[in-house]
Amino acid sequence: MSKSLKVLGLAVSALALTQLPAAAQTKVTDQGISASEIVVGTHQDLSGPIKVWGVPVSNGLKMAAEEINAAGGIHGRKIKLILEDSGYDPKRAVLASQKMVERDKVFAMVGPMGSPTVLAAQDILFDAGVLQLFPLTAAEFTFKFDPAKPQERLKFNNLLPYVESTRAAVKYMLETKNFKKPCIMYQDDEYGKNVLDGFTQQVTAMKLQPASVTSYKRGASDFSAQVAKMKSDGCDVVVLGTVIRETIGAMGEAKKLGWDVTFLGATPTNVLEVPALGKEAVEGLYAASGFEIPYEDTAKGKVKDWLANYKKMFGSDANTQAIIGYNAMMTFAFYAEKAGKDLTGQKMMDSLESGEKFMDIFSSPPTKFSKTDHLANTITQVQQIKNGRWVLVKEGLMF
Amino acid sequence: MRFLFKTDYEDDIKLFPHSGYYVSYGILLAFLLIAPFVLSSYLVSQLVFVCIYATVGVGLMILTGFTGQASLGHAAFLAIGAYTAAYLQQYNVPFPVYFLAGGLLTGVVGALVGFPALRLTGIYLVIATISFAFIVEEVLARWESVTHGNEGMRVKTLSLFGQAVPQNGPTFYYLCLAVLVLTIVGTLNLLRSPTGRAFVAIRDSETAARSMGVNVSLYKVKSFAISAGITGLAGVLFAHKLSFISPEMFTLQLSIEFIIVILIGGTFSLHGAVLGAIFLVMIDPFLTYLKDDMPGIIAGLAATFGADSITANKIHANAAAIASANGLKGAIYGVIIVLFVLFEPLGLYGRWLKIKLFFQLFPLYKRATFKRQKIYVKSERNR
Repeated sequence: MSKSLKVLGLAVSALALTQLPAAAQTKVTDQGISASEIVVGTHQDLSGPIKVWGVPVSNGLKMAAEEINAAGGIHGRKIKLILEDSGYDPKRAVLASQKMVERDKVFAMVGPMGSPTVLAAQDILFDAGVLQLFPLTAAEFTFKFDPAKPQERLKFNNLLPYVESTRAAVKYMLETKNFKKPCIMYQDDEYGKNVLDGFTQQVTAMKLQPASVTSYKRGASDFSAQVAKMKSDGCDVVVLGTVIRETIGAMGEAKKLGWDVTFLGATPTNVLEVPALGKEAVEGLYAASGFEIPYEDTAKGKVKDWLANYKKMFGSDANTQAIIGYNAMMTFAFYAEKAGKDLTGQKMMDSLESGEKFMDIFSSPPTKFSKTDHLANTITQVQQIKNGRWVLVKEGLMF
Repeated sequence: MRFLFKTDYEDDIKLFPHSGYYVSYGILLAFLLIAPFVLSSYLVSQLVFVCIYATVGVGLMILTGFTGQASLGHAAFLAIGAYTAAYLQQYNVPFPVYFLAGGLLTGVVGALVGFPALRLTGIYLVIATISFAFIVEEVLARWESVTHGNEGMRVKTLSLFGQAVPQNGPTFYYLCLAVLVLTIVGTLNLLRSPTGRAFVAIRDSETAARSMGVNVSLYKVKSFAISAGITGLAGVLFAHKLSFISPEMFTLQLSIEFIIVILIGGTFSLHGAVLGAIFLVMIDPFLTYLKDDMPGIIAGLAATFGADSITANKIHANAAAIASANGLKGAIYGVIIVLFVLFEPLGLYGRWLKIKLFFQLFPLYKRATFKRQKIYVKSERNR
């Protein structure tokens, strides 16, 4: 009797032991991987308020997938990209993600768009063990994870976060140009708040006082009050937590008032549309950025071909957004390739966390992840608009 | 054709006028109860959104459909419910408490909004409710110590009696369904009470209602409070379903969606709120489904009618290209709504009633049966 009890006890404890490590380990799905293809999904805003981002990003993703497939795929597996429109509506993002996980059986979500949309859909991916790779939001929750929650390890991001990039750029500007009265004008949403946080942290760290802090509501088109206030507060450098139209509007307003002041934009201002639409109003604008924007006439080699291909495929010029989308898919393909011939979810995870460096064709800083850090890098550049073009001022910046 | 023979005054206010109701609603309820076991969790998730939107729809129906007060501010009420839940959850307040607190607080706010609404009618009331929604959105963005401003708030997994209820599981679906059913039953009871009858009287003619001794101001405020309270309850569920809330989610767009729910469904019956919610939530996944499968079906049809494989492939590619054109879904969606407003002002439920009557009276159906009788409401002559 006692013997059989002992056996039972041993069996139970053995069972418990096998269960223990499994409980602490991240469950990564193997679905979507077949002999001939890998299914990946993404949800973009193709019809909502940020479709100026969603459309080129999805173009970039498509283009990368086609290039990879034309070159024979990843160890012979073609990428099948499932693209859904979320319209920047969290409800639709949740349903689209669920559809992609259940119906299309995606292996990973690559480059989904927007903070509320990505966050609301996140749990669905984690429950199913689907990787959430390189979402188009620089918010903290896309890379910071709680080690106690194994499913949270499924998130990786390679986008330069707003807080860190703003800090690095502000530090560079304040140190090299010796500004004493920094000011900020930011968009009243989560993005603007991040820029404000980066600005405040850096200014406080350098023992300075912000001379003026103003904001505007998303969609505003008149910035006369904000600019007049900053002028009367005697700012010598204005940090812009703005996007495209607001950047041009604010700088145009300063020119109108005859106010000669230095402007520094956060990373979203570092796009081709700003000099293209702002013309002389935005001349001299500095901006934080992650990588250099290629121009068709000066680009060389691979980048030149890439720009030409993009134009041929989509009938419009490539922009920063397209590059980010393209890089997201290329980064996925790079790590999937490294994971080896018999790709599984776990192997993909190991490959991502291996610390292997991915270099893109646009000479961005290298992308790498580790077991503790799922954010690619925080290395920032500062660029400036000279004669209507973005020109590199300084690279390799940290704070 | 069934003839209802009433022998008692009670017959007039029965929730189920005849046995057919028990059968049809019984079948519906049975289906809804087994749904999580037979449907994929993708469809169950859609049903959860339907329940939440339908609950809001019922709330809005009380105000707009039955009291005649339009509102484009219900996203704000939803936000107040959602934020109350997220805020109280931080202090480990149990779900039943913050669920009711969310409804109660929203109801109080709704009553406060109701007061200025007493002096406003029609389009001016709509403008007032829009501005209220903007104020709430602004407060949510500014009051950082409570709402975390634009960073938004994470909502933890719902915990009920010590059990975790994940937002994508069947238990959460049952919870949302229960809230919807209780709301509907409660509202039906409200509508056959003196309060509900006063609401309808106000909708049909304020002057007439007043001359009958209805305290118009009191009932308007009541209607606002009840409507907002129900929306607040839905807000708590909404917050849990999305597990993240931020001010930019509760915009005018969402209020418009709620109005669409009752317009599409039909503004004269609670059925409309549910049908409208089903339409609004499910049209998008349905169009997605068409986008994925239509090209294959069309190509298959072409092949059946004698097209060779090359042509069929070409047709497949073309159909796929058209189906995945950006914004096509939005356009289809818009066209459907326009068609509804133009040709079926009574909404989905109105259409259903007409179809039902057509078969009941066949072949004696008269188109004029549903012709609108109350011309004076349209002209607002007796305000």
